[in-house]
Formats: sequence, structure tokens, C-alpha cells
Amino acid sequence: MKTDDLIGRLSAEAPAAPLRPAAVGLAILAATLACSALFLGLLGPRDELGTHWLQPVIALKTLLPLLAAALALPLTLRTLRPAGRPGPWLALLLLPLGGAVAVWLLAYRGQPPAARFADMTAPAIAECLGFIVLLSLPPLLLALALFRRGASTRPALTGALIGLACSAGAAAGYSLFCVQDDPVFYVTWYGLAILIVTSLSALAGARWLRW
Amino acid sequence: MVEREREWSALLRAANAGDGRAYARFLHAVTPVLRGIVRARARAVDRTLHEEILQEALIAIHAKRHTWDQAAPLLPWLYAVTRYKVIDAFRRQGARVDLPLEDFAEVLAAPSRDLTAAHDVEALLARLDPRSASVVRAVSLGGEAADEVGRRLKLSEGAVRVVLHRAMRRLARLAKGEEHENR
Repeated sequence: MKTDDLIGRLSAEAPAAPLRPAAVGLAILAATLACSALFLGLLGPRDELGTHWLQPVIALKTLLPLLAAALALPLTLRTLRPAGRPGPWLALLLLPLGGAVAVWLLAYRGQPPAARFADMTAPAIAECLGFIVLLSLPPLLLALALFRRGASTRPALTGALIGLACSAGAAAGYSLFCVQDDPVFYVTWYGLAILIVTSLSALAGARWLRW
Repeated sequence: MVEREREWSALLRAANAGDGRAYARFLHAVTPVLRGIVRARARAVDRTLHEEILQEALIAIHAKRHTWDQAAPLLPWLYAVTRYKVIDAFRRQGARVDLPLEDFAEVLAAPSRDLTAAHDVEALLARLDPRSASVVRAVSLGGEAADEVGRRLKLSEGAVRVVLHRAMRRLARLAKGEEHENR
């Protein structure tokens, strides 16, 4: 087809609705909250959540993933437009990561060897990993669909950040139900769940967010 | 380049608000610049594919026109979209290519030359006989292969090349003549 004809055809099409990153962000946030709320509504938060939260180690189980999600979402939104990059702000993610590692190390050192991996039974691990991954999926799929309308020039990175935001958000929600309070447990398995979803989402981004 | 930024961003803004004619003008205006970028970097790719790659870039600009933040400069956005699509197209052809910002800046920095060049070429072509003019348009400007053009005009491939060669020499002489006249 001659280029002039192509231009003629393109200019005959209706204009497209502008991209609104804030709206995209709110939609993803709402989906994450809704999923966690539904889960907690069905299975109920743990007993005496308020009392338990007074213990820093338990509060961190919610706060660390919450911080990671709160940092990852705006960073992701920056990649919605072409040439958008998270930039040096990406380094902020070292905060929740560093916090998690520190908490894990302190807990590991503070326990006798026999006790360290005592509660890592297969059912406990499966429940934790399974629920976090499951709760991440609906907001993740929504986010990928919304980002397809965008034009990220770093599709794999965008996918990874979306995965991080959704899985860390899901982990924060799940933590209100979870009774595993030992950081050696929760940092390992929440961390693995987040890593799995982030990696899968990076692959998904590389395939579906190209244009 | 400031001129170009102002002109084009006004056109695209109008286009996104629904002005189809502004949009057509925008696309026509960016096309020679995109073509220049593709040609400058496409040595490893067959010439007949240049126009296809250019068209892919135009289609990408069209598909993602709503992702330009209208409060921000247009040229960086345009560059980012073009670069992404052109590199992708080249990669699919099996050719690696670098598309540094300098390319874009260079082609953009020669603005009036591009526009008036198109105008000049038409004026010159009008002074050739119709058959030579259509051969030049098809092969040099349209990137068609000589044998295709030959089939259309009922000439052998060799004859097309001879016509083209003579026409280009005539055009060069005419162009030089014009220059002399304007001085």
C-alpha cells in the first residue's frame, strides 16, 4: 500500500481516548484491595489481630509487603508511556527488601537450630504460597490488560513491576489472615511467592506488552 | 527544532481532539523525517523494505497516539515510538541496528530542506517527459524494483534502468541550472 493511502486511512479513524495513568493506578489498587477484602470476608482475619499487631515482628509481616507494593505501583505507572522509566527511584525497593532480610537474619540468629525451620511443614508452605499467588492473579491480569493500552518501551520491566506490586499487595492482605509469625517462615515464603509472581509477570509483560 | 516541536504538537493536539485534517497534515509532515531515519540506518536491510518499515512506524504512532502526554514535549515521544518500532522491525529482518538520538536530531535539524526538497523534486519532475518522471517516482521515490516498474510500463528491466539513469542526469543538470538562476 502506498504511504499516502495509508495516511489517508489512518486520518479517517476516530481519535483515541487519552491515557490516564492515575486512573490505571486506581483501578489496580482497587482490584488488589477487593481481592484481599473478598478473601478476608470469606475466611476471616486471624483472631485478635489488633493485639498481635502490637508486636513489631508481626506488624512487619504486613508493613514490609505493603511498603513494597506502595513503592512498586507508582514506579510501574511511570513506564506506561514510551521511554518512561522508573529511574533511580527503583533503588527505593531496597528498603522493604533490606528490611525483610534484616528481620529474617535477626529471627534466624535468635532461635535454637532445632526451632528455626520447625513450622515449615508442606501444608503451611502450600497454603501461604498458594494463597498469595492466587490473590495476586486477578489484579495482575487486570493490570496487564490496562497496560496493553499503554506503550511501554520496557515491556519486561513493566511486567515485573506490575507483578511485584500485585503480589506484594496480595501478601499484605494475606498477612491479616496468616498465623505464621516467625520471620524465618514468612520472609522466606512470602518472598518466594512474590518472586514467583514477579518473574511470571515479567515473562508475561515481555510477550503481551509488546506493540 | 523548536519550530517543528510547536508546529507538530499543535497538529497532534488538534488531531487528538478530533480534527482529521490536522492529523493527516501531521502524518504527512513526519513521514519524510521518519523515512530519513529508516534510510540512514537501514544499510543491512533490503531497500524495498524501507517503505514497509516506515509504514510500520506510522501505524505505531497512530496506534499509540493517545499515549503522548500533551503537557510534555512531542518530539521526545515521537522519537521514542519511532525508535522502538524501527528497532523492532529491523530485528525481525535479522538486522541489528543502533538508533541514537543524534539521528533523529540531525534529520529534524534540517527541517526546511526536507519540505522544500519535496517541493523542488516535484517541480523538477514536471520538467521531464511523463515516462521518465513516472520511472523516477516509482523507483527512486517509491522504492519499487526496476523489473516491477518495467512490467507496468511495458519496458524491460534494462530499459527502465537506462531511462532512470538518463532522467537522473537530466534532473541533476536541471537542479544545477535552477541554482545558478537563483543566485
